[in-house]
Amino acid sequence: MTQEKNDVKLLEIKDLEVRYRSGGRSVHAVNGVSLSVDRGEILGLVGETGAGKTTIAKSILRILPDHATQSVSGEILFEGEDLLKAKKNRMTAIRGYKISMIFQDPMTALNPIMPVNKQIAEDIQLHMGVSKREAIERANQMLETVGISADRGGEYPHQFSGGMKQRVVIAMALACRPDLLLADEPTTALDVTIQAQVLELIANLQKELKTAMILITHDLGVVAGVCDKVAVVYAGEILEWGTKEEIFDYPKHPYTKGLFGALPDLSKKVRRLSSIDGLPPDPTNLPPGCPFAPRCQKATDECREGTIELSELNPDHRVRCIHID
Amino acid sequence: MSILKNKTAVTEEYQESLQPGSFKYIWRHLSHDKGAIAGMIAISLILIICFLSPYIFKYDFATIDMVNKNAKPSMEHLFGCDELGRDIMVRVFYGARYTLSIGVLSTAIAAVIGVALGAIAGYFGGRFDTLLMRALDILQAFPQLVLATLVSAVLGPGLDKCIIALAVSGIAGYARMMRANILNVRGQEYIEAAKSIDCSTSRIITSHVIPNAISPIIVQVCMGIASSGLNASALSFLGLGVQPPEPEWGAMLSSARNLIRQYPHMAIFPGLFIMITVVSLNLIGDSLRDALDPKLRD
Amino acid sequence: MGRYVMKRILQIIPIILIVSILIFAIMSLVPSDPITIIMSQTSATAEEIEAAREAAGYNDPFMIRLGNYLRKLYLHGDMGNSFKTGSPVMTDLLSRLPITFRLAFGSIFVAVVIGIPLGVLSAVRAGTLTDRMTMFFTLMLNSMPNFWLALMLVLLFALRLKLLPSNGTGGLDHYILPVIANSIGAVAGIARQTRASVLEVIRSDFVTTARSKGLSERVVIWKHALPNGLIPVITSCGTFFGRLLGGSMVIEMTFSLPGVGSYMINGINNRDYDCVQGAMLYIAFIFAITMLVVDLLYAFIDPRIKAQYAAGSAKKVKKGATA
Repeated sequence: MTQEKNDVKLLEIKDLEVRYRSGGRSVHAVNGVSLSVDRGEILGLVGETGAGKTTIAKSILRILPDHATQSVSGEILFEGEDLLKAKKNRMTAIRGYKISMIFQDPMTALNPIMPVNKQIAEDIQLHMGVSKREAIERANQMLETVGISADRGGEYPHQFSGGMKQRVVIAMALACRPDLLLADEPTTALDVTIQAQVLELIANLQKELKTAMILITHDLGVVAGVCDKVAVVYAGEILEWGTKEEIFDYPKHPYTKGLFGALPDLSKKVRRLSSIDGLPPDPTNLPPGCPFAPRCQKATDECREGTIELSELNPDHRVRCIHID
Repeated sequence: MSILKNKTAVTEEYQESLQPGSFKYIWRHLSHDKGAIAGMIAISLILIICFLSPYIFKYDFATIDMVNKNAKPSMEHLFGCDELGRDIMVRVFYGARYTLSIGVLSTAIAAVIGVALGAIAGYFGGRFDTLLMRALDILQAFPQLVLATLVSAVLGPGLDKCIIALAVSGIAGYARMMRANILNVRGQEYIEAAKSIDCSTSRIITSHVIPNAISPIIVQVCMGIASSGLNASALSFLGLGVQPPEPEWGAMLSSARNLIRQYPHMAIFPGLFIMITVVSLNLIGDSLRDALDPKLRD
Repeated sequence: MGRYVMKRILQIIPIILIVSILIFAIMSLVPSDPITIIMSQTSATAEEIEAAREAAGYNDPFMIRLGNYLRKLYLHGDMGNSFKTGSPVMTDLLSRLPITFRLAFGSIFVAVVIGIPLGVLSAVRAGTLTDRMTMFFTLMLNSMPNFWLALMLVLLFALRLKLLPSNGTGGLDHYILPVIANSIGAVAGIARQTRASVLEVIRSDFVTTARSKGLSERVVIWKHALPNGLIPVITSCGTFFGRLLGGSMVIEMTFSLPGVGSYMINGINNRDYDCVQGAMLYIAFIFAITMLVVDLLYAFIDPRIKAQYAAGSAKKVKKGATA
């Protein structure tokens, strides 16, 4: 219905499937993920390590590691254009300009032997068609924007702390004012005290530049603070998807509930936080049916065998479960 | 329920296969690597024929037969004969024992001494460490083969002296490597983790420091046998290591060199066997490295 | 930086000094000496030999002999004389140095110029037929004894095809086969090293970052992956140079080239120990200078190392982990 109103979504992923190969085995990293992002919207992708969140983001930019990727299928529509079918030079025009990415580990995300402003300027020079000098100038401005003094621009990554490096990465990602920013656990590798600062910086810049964002995290607190919508990812599938309010106030999927159960809530007196028993399934050998079924208390034979579809509760909330109350 | 059981079994197997460092894991890797298999087969074949040569061949490696002097390869003598009519095939196979034993023994001596020195220096540091590092600087002021040449010039020719010369020239490499590994491992967080759960020092050293520091050494040893074998043949070729009439490959090449104009077959086979042996050892070493360092794997 | 370069150059001095002491000490372990060898071939009696030894200072305490050796070496540039030819070792070696230079530096030049691009090609095309073939051939070539390769090359190009001279000195064509024979192993070794190193870098995060910025694959490889991937290769070039220097000794013997290496081997065979001592010292010196150049090159490329040097502290900065 909304589709008719705003002709095309900024990003729409349909049935994305990604397989890796590892030691002769096929790893089912992403299994039929569909999601969409509107302009200026922040979508939180929440899930445990290894659930396939990063793979989804890297698929959008088509920067999955060649040597390990077995197959990618489905559709990734960016402003209506299928990126999975786009030509190589079309992708290079989109990367860093229309869509850019912030990586998890700032320690390794920067080229150790290139001054930071040059690394940012590279981006600007390439996409904005300005001179090298102008690009450096803008890169230095961008550094100021993220709170790094411009005269440190000529320094090398090893001269910055972890938090500062992540600021550089953010400056690099936002240098060309992309329409979509993919932030892959941007604060996980940082000290707790720095995490809030960096997150706030990203959120503020996002508002200022009106960039849409997919924020990948395993931290529900981060989601609560920043996101408009939330998708819960488990074993390469989306189990629940909806607005932040819907998901936080009326979680339906047992896994989502389990995640909230594992969070401390100050308003309630609970002696012990609940946890979800068991481990996520082995991605080289996924169970048939619902991937969460082996750990789910409500699971029935139907869950273990049949394919469970994502069903729409209301336009703002979808869930992949047949046992919702 | 059955699905569940099945799944756990598979998960266990999956995890087991991901235990790098375990003997089973390394063996599995080696036995799935065509190169390593080829290498192991080649080395085993050469060794088996080498030790069974008195029973397999009609001739002895030292049997002189002046009728067949300089004979070209034929059905009777597949690799031909040398200037004294000795069968080259028998000599080449018999000679495998020199190259391999020099390679293995000199590497073993160098590795044991080097690893011990490096481990002590790395773990305890201090004055011994400084002293050792300066000594290694001096030792490494010479290219390895030049140092081996110097030592064997002083010791004189012979199998045992050749082993010592190559061992001496190899110590510095292992010591440096082990020291660096120990320093690296010592700084890792899992050592701190082990300390924090009250692991005893001896347990930390035996079950954390050594296994993690030693795996690069294992690879280096395998490669070391190869390069030591090569250097041994070079020393013998120069007239310093094993001397003729012993059928050491380098020594055989040294005598064949003067006759290469007329009888090139004498020079081809010993060199070919050096190459096959060294390639095989390198293939096994490469595969070992892949098995021990999953980082580099595809 | 300038101060660091000076410091590194000065560091060579004690090393060379100690190395010369070590060589002298090792050589003095040899049980026989030139005078005994020469005179025992004549009709001299044991007493006469002993007297001549006494006169030549062979019976002096070790420290005195060492002192004399070092004084002559460092104050007068005197390495003694070859007892075989009677000519000063220093003069002999200086005249032979150009040949070893051409051979060793020619070989490392060929090894770097062919090995690095080959390794890069292999890494960029990892898994393809090109890569597999390169890896197969480099494995073979890396495992070949250089003197055997030399014999085979002579057999083919000098004796069969009669294209190139098989031994001796002369024009540059005399160096073609020796340089090929000496360098092929290092070409292969450097190619394999480069491939491994570049491959590791290609898979590192910052290369993914560079890709995510929209840089073309060519720029990603040449501007980001290669400069980083080549840092470890430079270090290994130093080691390979050592191998080539040792190799040239064998190659000089094989091709009858009158270089420093063959001078040393002939010295060993003739028990002409002043020659051996002198040649050893030359080789150690050339090696030390090359390693110094490699070290400086390393600092020049990697800002992390440069920063360490600029700070003038010996503190080792852990790779990329400064907080």
